[in-house]
Formats: sequence, structure tokens, C-alpha cells
Amino acid sequence: MNKEAGETREKPSAKELSKQLTAAYLEDARTAHDHGKYVAYTTAVSPVELFVAHDIIPIYPENHAVACLTKQMGTELSLAMEKRGYTSHLCAYARSDMGYRITGKSAMGGIPDPDFLLACNAQCFTLTKWFEVLARQYQVPLFVFDTPQWIRDPGARKEIVKYCVRQLKEMIASLEELTGKKYDYDRLAEVMAYSRDASLLYRRFLDMAAYKPSPISIFDALIHMAITVYLRGTPQCVDYYQTLCDEVQAKADNGIGVVEDERFRLYWENLPVWFKFRDHFNLLKSYGANILTSLYVHSWSYEFDTSKDPLETLAENYVSVFSNVTLEERAEMALDLFQRYALNGSLMFVNRSCKAVSFAVYTLKDILSEKTGYPALIFESDMGDPRFYSETQIRTRIEAFLETLQRREAEAV
Amino acid sequence: MIEKQKIRPDALKKLLEIANDPYGCLADLRKKKRIIGSTLADVPEELIHAAGLHPFLILGTNDPIRHSTAMLPDNSCSLARSNLELVVGYQGAFFDGFVLSQVCDTTQHLCDIWKRKFPDHYFENFLAPRQVARPSARDWYAQECRRLRAALENYTGRKISDEDLRQSFGLYNENRSLLRRLYDIKRDVPALMTNREFFDAVKATFFMDKQEHSRLIQEVLHWADQEKHHVTEQDGYFKAIMVGIVVEPPHLYDMLDEVKGGIVGDNLCTASRYIYHDVEVEGDPAEALADRHLRKPYFTPINEDVRRIYTDLVSLYRERKAEAIFYVHIKYCESQDYDLPDIKAQMRAEGIPFLELETEYQTTHLAQMKTRLQAFCESVIRKGLS
Ligand code: SF4
Ligand code: SF4
Repeated sequence: MNKEAGETREKPSAKELSKQLTAAYLEDARTAHDHGKYVAYTTAVSPVELFVAHDIIPIYPENHAVACLTKQMGTELSLAMEKRGYTSHLCAYARSDMGYRITGKSAMGGIPDPDFLLACNAQCFTLTKWFEVLARQYQVPLFVFDTPQWIRDPGARKEIVKYCVRQLKEMIASLEELTGKKYDYDRLAEVMAYSRDASLLYRRFLDMAAYKPSPISIFDALIHMAITVYLRGTPQCVDYYQTLCDEVQAKADNGIGVVEDERFRLYWENLPVWFKFRDHFNLLKSYGANILTSLYVHSWSYEFDTSKDPLETLAENYVSVFSNVTLEERAEMALDLFQRYALNGSLMFVNRSCKAVSFAVYTLKDILSEKTGYPALIFESDMGDPRFYSETQIRTRIEAFLETLQRREAEAV
Repeated sequence: MIEKQKIRPDALKKLLEIANDPYGCLADLRKKKRIIGSTLADVPEELIHAAGLHPFLILGTNDPIRHSTAMLPDNSCSLARSNLELVVGYQGAFFDGFVLSQVCDTTQHLCDIWKRKFPDHYFENFLAPRQVARPSARDWYAQECRRLRAALENYTGRKISDEDLRQSFGLYNENRSLLRRLYDIKRDVPALMTNREFFDAVKATFFMDKQEHSRLIQEVLHWADQEKHHVTEQDGYFKAIMVGIVVEPPHLYDMLDEVKGGIVGDNLCTASRYIYHDVEVEGDPAEALADRHLRKPYFTPINEDVRRIYTDLVSLYRERKAEAIFYVHIKYCESQDYDLPDIKAQMRAEGIPFLELETEYQTTHLAQMKTRLQAFCESVIRKGLS
């Protein structure tokens, strides 16, 4: 087992654990059929607990795509699917995934084919359409968990939860049909308890960004969110976040920040530009700036209430993710982060890959600027395809933004 | 040669006038009733009508975009862009409120931008199910109808009785059935009226008072029933299926008219999805509306059987004995973007002549598209300009 230099602990570090867990999870998925298990593709935000409790291994084509995009494979994979008649306007995850299915090229040795597909549109509709393509290709069932927008009307919300619970029951019936096995609700209760604990720990980890200086940046959050995305509902996931929280807490207790002389504490809107996030981190660091958080990384800080019917708390949590609330509420969620983490600026990325998150960002920027008075930089690009990333232009704009922050700071003194 | 222009009844002329410039008609209507705009395909207009309001379908504008650019990303579809442009441009003049449905990432978030833009207008989301494959969809649609009914009652301060609803259902059913009759005649006698004329006559119903529209359509039907026996020149027409969400800009119809492609079937939100299937007048009104909704032709952003994107087209093509399918693809509409390669592959496999027409509301390269369309007709279905 690898240990970082100078480490003497017996317990593996969070980073080591993450590697081990990921390897074991992929191995399980790849050999699922040998063990009489099934593989289901699903979306990052979806009631995956239902799968875990039924011995179905969830696979996230999005996560696989992230690995490919981070390794700068976005353009190559996209070109492969463009040759088959798809357009480069689609989500870079979908483009990368469909390109992988044509070329077989992958940053992590590929993922197993699906027996079942689940798309939850609280995240986006794109995934439904992308999964429809896969459902035709693999001739497997696709279940769409339709989550109406979480509008601010208490009566409507009650009915939305009812509709969602009903659909979860429909999905359980489909899973029983697929596997020929009766659904075990006691097992679901166990899984829910693990999911609840892991989500709370994950949230605690994210909330450590409130420390000054912050012991984490959004880049840590992006790396460490992977386990809660694909191992929610397992004891290993709880263990992992406990280890991570302990590590980060120790840093916070010793006043160790990721950016020395931290002066600017920023909010990031949207998913990251995956193939650039290291560069962004370094550029910001050189100005004493740190991006601490985004609503995106908070998508997995669920609050499952295990005293309720599991289907109800699942429905309530998944339907109310930031990408499915009204813009008004989304702005409030972001403002809450501004307050709790003492943020003082934002980088707002309009991601051409993701209309679900980006469509209203211009309006969101107006609201945040109006309410906080802090400067915000807005720029359009793509999260995964360097063809749509203009290096000099974006760098110059980020630098100019950081200089504005510096000027404001100087004026305030 | 294109057949010489026949004498059109005044009713048809009036319908075309309104379809091409509906705002005069809306301004008149607004003197009597409050006007509620709704977006395509899913909102049960009958409910708005029964509340004593005038429902109006927002169909965007082909005028250049000025106001909405700064509010939306560059890759938003032109339907969203031009809908927003239309309301921002005309805001105070024509609308008292909106009931907007959500069918895709674009429409979901557009609703929020819209709402913020018009804080003083009445605003309601209509959350139609985005899956129609399972029993829960029907109950959810019915539930949303009940919520909308209550919300409208709250807005107007007056109860909507079941009797009000039945009257509205009757009025809308009658209108749909008249339009279906006209479609049947147009289908059988393609030289009688152009595609543009027929689909504009349908379009007028999105804006007008329903009774008045039905009255005009009845006059057109009267004329069509007489005239069809005198139309002798039927040669040279081929049967086409039109597929998509909207056909914009409407010059696309003219192009098809020029090559004598008679549209005999479609799955457009602005045609078949609107005029096919009635609401049962008896029984629970919300459930009746849900049943009608679920019977409408397939709509690409909504999930059902994943093969319906092409199986429905193949059936329609065969059933109508068509000779080609034209697919109007709105640029940047992901729902269509994800479907198209599989649809094309299936059409090739079935040997069905298929032409994709990628457009935007503000499309300027119509000449190029016309050349493609003519070349396709000449080479693939061997029908060209006569
Ligand atoms: S990036 Fe956006 S569009 Fe793509 S899968 Fe994620 S939420 Fe959907
Ligand atoms: S379904 Fe397509 S055309 Fe309609 S609003 Fe959505 S993206 Fe635009």
C-alpha cells in the first residue's frame, strides 16, 4: 500500500482509501455478472440507494466521462461521435461517453455495459436523452425518474413527493422484474442509514471551507466527492468520509490553509472546466485567492430522514437538488454559502455543455451581484472540450478579475 | 408550373392575416378578457378558457433578436430565444400572465428567467410529466390540472365550475374536429389549398377567440367541400410527412408547396399534437384532460418507449402512403440532437426518403435550404419543379 512520505499511521489516508475503494468498486462492477449481480447505469443525482439495496451495481457514465475529460481526451472522443452524425453542441459527458463506445478508448479501462438504465431529471433532461440512445444501443430498459421542478408551493411540493414516491414504487417493480428477486425493504433501511451518515459527513467536510484560512478548496471537494457519488449507501463510504473529516479537521485545528495568505474567498458557479482545474487553482493561488465552494459540490450533501418512509425521504432529497429548484431558491442557496463561508467574489462559468446548470447563470449573476455587492466574473466555455476553451482570453479575464479584487481590497484599507 | 391561384374565401384570407400578424387580434381581445400566454404542447388551454381568460400560445418571433441575447447563453435554441424576445418586446401590450410548461432543460430554466422578468404578471408553472410510459404519469397530469384550476380560480377570484369546463371542452373539441376535417380534405385534394394556407389556418387558432376561429374554419370547410369537386389538376403532387416541433420560419411550407409536396401527416406541436384527440366531456375533468394529453402523438422531449422516435414515423409514413419525410430540426434543440442519428439510420434501413432541415427562427440561409430541398425532391423522389 502506498503511503505518503512521513506518514506513520496504520489507518490508510483518505486518498489511499479512495484509491482502494475505487479499484474494488470497479472490479465488482466488471465481474458483476460472474457473481449473479446486475449493472445499472445511473445519473450522479439519483436514488441509487434502491440499487445498492437490491445488489445492483450502479455505474455512472458521467464519472467515467470526467476521468476521460480530465485526461484531455474530450476532443478526440467527441470527434468520434461527431463522425457518426452527432453534434458537438451536446453535453461533453455524453459526447465523451458515446465516443468511448465507438472507439473503446478510456482513461480508466472502460466500464461494463448496462443491464438497466435510470435517469433522474432533477439533474438534467440531457441525461434522459443520452440514456435513450444507450437504451436503444444495448436494448435494455430505461427508467426515467421524473422529478418536477421543486417550485415553492407547499401544496404542490406535497403532491410532487407523492408522484415521486409512486414512481420509486414503479421502479422497484421494474427491478424485481429484471432480477426475479423480491425487494427487501429492511435492507433498504440499512442502506439508507449508511447514506444518511455518509452524506452528513460529506457535508461536514464541505463545511470546513468556513475556516479561515480554509483547509480545503473546491478542487479538494471535486476530488473527494467521487466516493459519495458512487458508493453512497455502503459502510465503506461512511468510513471514508470519517477519515477525510478527521484529516481536514486536523489541518483546520493547526491553522493550515490550502492557500497561504488567503485573501480572496471565492464562489464558483457551475461544474469545473475539468481539463483546466489545476491551472485555475494555481493561477488563483498566486493571487492569494481560493475557490471554496459551489452549489455543484453540494449536490450530494443530502439530509435523509431515516425516521420517515425511505421512499419519501429519497424523493424529498433528490427532487430538491439545486439544479431542480427555482432560480430564486438557487440564488438563496448560493447566498447561504456566501454567508456561511464568508465569500467575497464569484467566478461564474457558463458551461456550453450543460444547459441544465448554465441556462439561468446570467440572471443568477445579476441576483448575486445585487444581493452581495461582490464582484463576479462571468465567462462562457466548455467543461470538457478544449476546442471551446480560449486559453488566453479566459486567463486574461481571470487575471483582470483578480486585479479588481486586489484593487477593491486596497481601497478598503 | 404551379397551379394558378384559386379564389380564396374571405374567411381563409382572414385566418392567414391573423396567423401572420396576431397582435391586432390580441389587442382587440384584451379589451374583453385578460390574456394568458402559454408555451407549446402541454398546457391544457381549456382550463384557462374556462376561467374566463383568453389563452394564447406563445410562438416566438421571426424578427431579429434584440432583447433576449444578454439573458441566455449562445447555444439556446431559437424557440426559447424568440419566445423570450417576443414577450420582452411586447410585454405590457398583450399579456396579463403566463402559464408555462417545462419539457427540457431549456424550458425549465427559461420559466425562472421569465418569471423574474415579469414580476407583476400572473405566473404559473405547469409541471407536466416528462415520462408518459407508466401509470403515474396520468395521475400526475390530472393532479397538475387540479392545481392549475385552483390557481386560476385564485387569480380570477371566481370558481371554475365543472359546467364551465365542459363548455370549454366542447368548444375546443369542436374546433379540433373542424381542423381535422379540413386536414382530411387537404390531404385528399392537395391542389385545393397550399401547406402554408392550411397550417396558417391552424396557427390562427393559437391566438384567436375559439368560437370565432371555428366560425371561420366552417366557412373555409364549406368552400373546400364545394371546391374540391372542381379541382381537376391533381398531378405532380407527392405525399410528404412533416416531423418536428414547430415549422419555423414558415417559408419552409412555401418551399414544399413549390415542389408540390403535399403534407399528409405530421407530428408537430403546431398541428397534429394540437388538433388530434378530444377531451371526454363526461367524467372527471382533470382525468379527461390527462387522457387527452397521453393520446397525443409522440413528442421528442418526453420519454416513452425509446423506439417511438422512429417507429411512429414509419407507421405514419406507411399509413398515409407517403413518399418522403421532412424533419424540421431546430438548431440547438438537444432533444432532437440526440434522436436524429438513430432516426436517420432507421430511415435508411427502411428505405424511406428522409430530409433533415436544420433551421432557426431567424434563419437567413433559406435560399440554400431551398436548393437542398429541390435537389432532394428531384433525385430522391424524382419530383421536381414542374
Ligand atoms: S453536465 Fe449538465 S447536461 Fe451534462 S449530464 Fe451533467 S447535468 Fe446533465
Ligand atoms: S424541446 Fe428543443 S426546441 Fe423545445 S424548448 Fe427545448 S430545446 Fe428548445
